[in-house]
Amino acid sequence: MKTNKLLFAAFMLTAFLAYSLSMSAQAANPKSGKSSGAPQWSVQVDKVDPGDVILESAFRVAIYENLLDEMAKTKRFKQVFRSGDHHAADVPDLLILKTTVQKYTAGSETRRTVTTVSGATKLKVSSQLTTKDGKVVLEKVVDGNVRFFGGNLRATHNLAHNIGTQIKESTLPPPNPATAEGSIERTMEASAGSVSTSEMDVR
Amino acid sequence: MTYKPVSRKAPARVEFPIRRTLPCLILLIACSAMLAQNPGASPAAAGGSSVRATHILGLQGVSKSAGGNLSIEGDALKFQKTEGAAAQVPISSIQDVSLGVEDRQVGGVPLAVGRAATPYAGGRVIGLFSHKKYDTLTLEYLDADGGLHGAIFEISKGQAEGFKDALVAKGAHVKVEGQTAAASTPEVKK
Repeated sequence: MKTNKLLFAAFMLTAFLAYSLSMSAQAANPKSGKSSGAPQWSVQVDKVDPGDVILESAFRVAIYENLLDEMAKTKRFKQVFRSGDHHAADVPDLLILKTTVQKYTAGSETRRTVTTVSGATKLKVSSQLTTKDGKVVLEKVVDGNVRFFGGNLRATHNLAHNIGTQIKESTLPPPNPATAEGSIERTMEASAGSVSTSEMDVR
Repeated sequence: MTYKPVSRKAPARVEFPIRRTLPCLILLIACSAMLAQNPGASPAAAGGSSVRATHILGLQGVSKSAGGNLSIEGDALKFQKTEGAAAQVPISSIQDVSLGVEDRQVGGVPLAVGRAATPYAGGRVIGLFSHKKYDTLTLEYLDADGGLHGAIFEISKGQAEGFKDALVAKGAHVKVEGQTAAASTPEVKK
């Protein structure tokens, strides 16, 4: 009985130590990408380009609207403008988010419910952040899928969330035009689960 | 004369789970089939300028999945929530109206839990019956600053076409037609 009590106390102590260590590690590594008073870019979300893919308008519109929400949630941008907004023309530090659909697999919620393994809705887009003069600041290929639960349009929410996460985790060059030619981050392949990022200097 | 007590429950013990779950399964299938019916579709509303709709996303000031009444009032498209304020979009600002067809499971979380809890993979059978097809009405419109907005509504099957025609008759622009076939496209690669 006494041994059990000792074992329990040791277990509790170990659990407490592990918890406090993880908390201190989290405090030591603040999230990257948070604004620190430095000048910020503004962003204008462009219309979704379906490319050569036949995509239902509901999906195109849902990606666009979800992207607007997600860009605001990243807190990386001073202002978020809609496509065609007249006020965006007066903003000096403006990035334009262009989204081009590369691949779309139509799914079915009923098939997902009945079979579990089939019926996934899959979206793959190329997402670009460019300056007003067309210079690419960030380019990523991002997926958004619905495999198990939720309606087909949920893929657009997941896609926009993944794009937001990618932008949040990326390092954008400072808005000052003199230094904007610094590092341009370019990622050729990035998916929801595994993200590969490579940096290169463009002069 | 002596009688030996005989347990009546003993032989039935093997059948007990089946006896108990079969009526539950039948009840769930019946409920889901009833839910999959189309209670909101009334012949008077079909093709008219007022339909029951669920706002999926995009309309300013209206929460997602809000139910209400979508109507044309004067020169504006009005979405009146079941409870709360209405949202309006001038019809002249509508740049595109398109239709689609979607298929989704009905019953929400309660039925999803019921499906998951049904033994012998009965949830999959329920899933076959508990789905409903509906039309989607997608609008693209401009705000006062020229910013592009998109709004998606879910409308009972067969009613969206008439509502779209009513919008076009009132002056809404339509860019592309016949994109509903995209839903049946299995896979498209660039």
